[in-house]
Amino acid sequence: MDKKLFNKYSFDNANKTPGFGKVVGEQVKKQLKNPVWHYILFGIGVLFLLTLCINKVLPYSWYGGFVITAAYSISSIGFCLLMGYSGMASLGTGGFIGIGCYSIYYVMTLSGLPFFLGILVAIVIAVVIGVIVGFISLRIESIYLVILTLGLSEILRNVYVKLQNAIVIGKVEIFGHTLKSTETMYVIIPVLVIVMIITYNIISSPTGRAMLAMKNSTAAAQAMGISLLKYRLMAFIICTVFAAVSGSMIILRNGSETASNGVGAYALITSLNVLAAVIIGGYKSIWGAIFGTFVMYGLSSTILQRIELFANHPELITIVSGVLVIVVVMFYPGGLAQLLAGLKIKIKGLFKKMKEAKYGKDIG
Amino acid sequence: MAKISANKPSLMDKITKIFNNPQAKLISLRKKLQWVETEKQALPEIYESKKQRKLGAIKSGYDAKLSSAAFKACDKEEYATAAFNEKMQKYDVKAYMQHRAVNHALTKSIFAAIKKGEDYSAAVSKHDAAIQALKAKRARYEEKLLSEKAAFIKRNNTADDSEYVALKAKLQKEYDAIESSISEKYNVELEKKTAKLNAKIEKLNADIQAVKSTIPALKSLPENVLLSVKGLKMYFGGLKAVDDLTFDVKKGEIFGLIGPNGAGKTTVFNCITRFYNATGGDIYFENKAGEVVDMRDFKVHDVILQGISRTFQNVELVKEISVLENLLVACTREYQSNFWVHALGLPIVKKEEKLLKVKAMKILKFMGIENYASWLAMGLPYGILKKVEIARALMSNAKLIIMDEPAAGLNDSETAELTQTIRKIRDEFNVTILLVEHDMGLVMSVCDTVCAISFGKMLAIGTCEEIQKNKAVQEAYLGVEEDE
Repeated sequence: MDKKLFNKYSFDNANKTPGFGKVVGEQVKKQLKNPVWHYILFGIGVLFLLTLCINKVLPYSWYGGFVITAAYSISSIGFCLLMGYSGMASLGTGGFIGIGCYSIYYVMTLSGLPFFLGILVAIVIAVVIGVIVGFISLRIESIYLVILTLGLSEILRNVYVKLQNAIVIGKVEIFGHTLKSTETMYVIIPVLVIVMIITYNIISSPTGRAMLAMKNSTAAAQAMGISLLKYRLMAFIICTVFAAVSGSMIILRNGSETASNGVGAYALITSLNVLAAVIIGGYKSIWGAIFGTFVMYGLSSTILQRIELFANHPELITIVSGVLVIVVVMFYPGGLAQLLAGLKIKIKGLFKKMKEAKYGKDIG
Repeated sequence: MAKISANKPSLMDKITKIFNNPQAKLISLRKKLQWVETEKQALPEIYESKKQRKLGAIKSGYDAKLSSAAFKACDKEEYATAAFNEKMQKYDVKAYMQHRAVNHALTKSIFAAIKKGEDYSAAVSKHDAAIQALKAKRARYEEKLLSEKAAFIKRNNTADDSEYVALKAKLQKEYDAIESSISEKYNVELEKKTAKLNAKIEKLNADIQAVKSTIPALKSLPENVLLSVKGLKMYFGGLKAVDDLTFDVKKGEIFGLIGPNGAGKTTVFNCITRFYNATGGDIYFENKAGEVVDMRDFKVHDVILQGISRTFQNVELVKEISVLENLLVACTREYQSNFWVHALGLPIVKKEEKLLKVKAMKILKFMGIENYASWLAMGLPYGILKKVEIARALMSNAKLIIMDEPAAGLNDSETAELTQTIRKIRDEFNVTILLVEHDMGLVMSVCDTVCAISFGKMLAIGTCEEIQKNKAVQEAYLGVEEDE
């Protein structure tokens, strides 16, 4: 008798076949393992949360914090790819963000063309800048490259000051619908999700592996047929394009930006903030980059400003983020992503310890 | 053997070379050809696994159909006993944890009593009582199950296997028919696909011949020679790291390059693989397509396309990804899909990876490390990492594998294994091996030809015995004997 034919022994006669619900549930479970669905669900969740903010179920002040975090996250993710996967760093993010802002301004306000065309123009200019920096990165490495991109960023900022110091964009129209300030999230969050999906695809593809090989050892990468020129260019182009897209999202959210005094979105402080965000979050994790950006840009307006101490002394907020960077670099070089992964292991260990306290050690 | 003229190309030549470069065309054509060949090799396994998956699904469907008849047919006594045993086993697993808890409580209370200097007999008797209670509980459960079992047997006391036999015969017939039809279908598909690929290969070969005819033949190497190094010079400023070195590597041999520390062995390697731009001299190599090329025409990342792959002295693997993915890194130039396809995550990328993974698993099996395929390269022992690196060098269908100190950091037994592995690689993959090594035992046992160099100059070349007897080599290694 073939015993395998019975799924499970039971004293009830029926050999139960799995029901419809179970089959569907298994399929859904299988699909949910794909990270692309995580990103899409994340986007839907954030949109839901923001709707609650607008309807004042949650505090309205959170809305701005979350949306600006999403806008800056795009450039953080690009930076993550550059630093965590290609092993290069740059301090030019601020300047690259400006490309997006000014493209939108010139295309929309001066030419009267639609908003999305502005993003396209921003991408084209960003590709050109990315190619330039990528070529430079072949000759110069590590800290010198950082200084060089810093200089490039300052050049770009001064160009912006000369072009038009303060820019203001008018009302944005998308498919004939005028976008209110509370509706910008319907543009920004989907763009963020698309960027997350593209980044995930790149890092899990042969291209991402080639970049990792290049980061680990340039000699071995070249011996394996990986052209440094191609992949460094690619990394810098992705980084600048994402920063430019991020810039156009920022100008869409804020409506105006200023280039003087180094306080705007394209000042040095932005480059440093994005660098800090990626270091805090974990330089090899998409979730980490978003979380780090939230710490740098969203934390103050959502949580810290509700605490009286920080509301009275806003300068303390900067100190908090500075201390965070120090603590993370000292104890969790992999960032908050590493902290969370470590937490998972620790919780498992805790359960094991609890079990041992009750039952004693397993002696087989 | 005619030497090519050393005329420097003019600027105009350089510009036309960029826009109309037959070499680049050849490279892209050969890339396509190699891909098609990889596809052809992996095809049977892919179809086999497809077939098995389909048949498995059909079989489990038939089993589900058969199960109710099988239940009617089976001996109820046997069935009920099996069910009873399984349930009791499950209960015992649960009861084990309760026993553990009771025992642990006893140990704790005994320790506490000893610390206080009290008598712990009360705790022991309490423990005994608890154990008795657990045993009684188990007995009660057993009794209940036995009564259930008896009721079950009484309820289904007939064993009628006529329906089962008939159904099984019918389904078996159906299954056999489906199996043969499916395997036939897959075989036909496989043949079709293979024929298609063969046609593609023929067409690509014709294209390659057409492009090749436009390029004048460079030169020819003497018969049986794969790599010819002539008068190689590499100067770093005033330092002559390699000075006028000449040697030939024959096809299918294991060639060893030895010399004291700082003799310039690794520099020679780096010149061949284009990491260094040689100051002077010629390096000719018969590439995968069987034509002789001047290695100085290629950039360092194009060397692998010509059929030279190398390993490194210190293991240079990507630590963050698995062993299997590390092997895939060596195939970066073989993918047909470009960046845009990767960024959009189209399914074609997964298909291509599947093909290459089949190839990678074959090589890992050959090296005897297929169990480590999904491990991260980060924490693996050094001996395994060395093997992974050799496996990675094998991934690109190279004709010449250059090993830079393959035995560095290995213990004696691992080195002995490496000797076998190197020979096996040479025989199985039809490659020539060029190695630099300090471990004289390995060199003398594995190499067919040995070349000894010192301070960038050749001392001697020949078989192992000749090198061992050579005076100059002995002096270089042991120093000059002075007469008192």
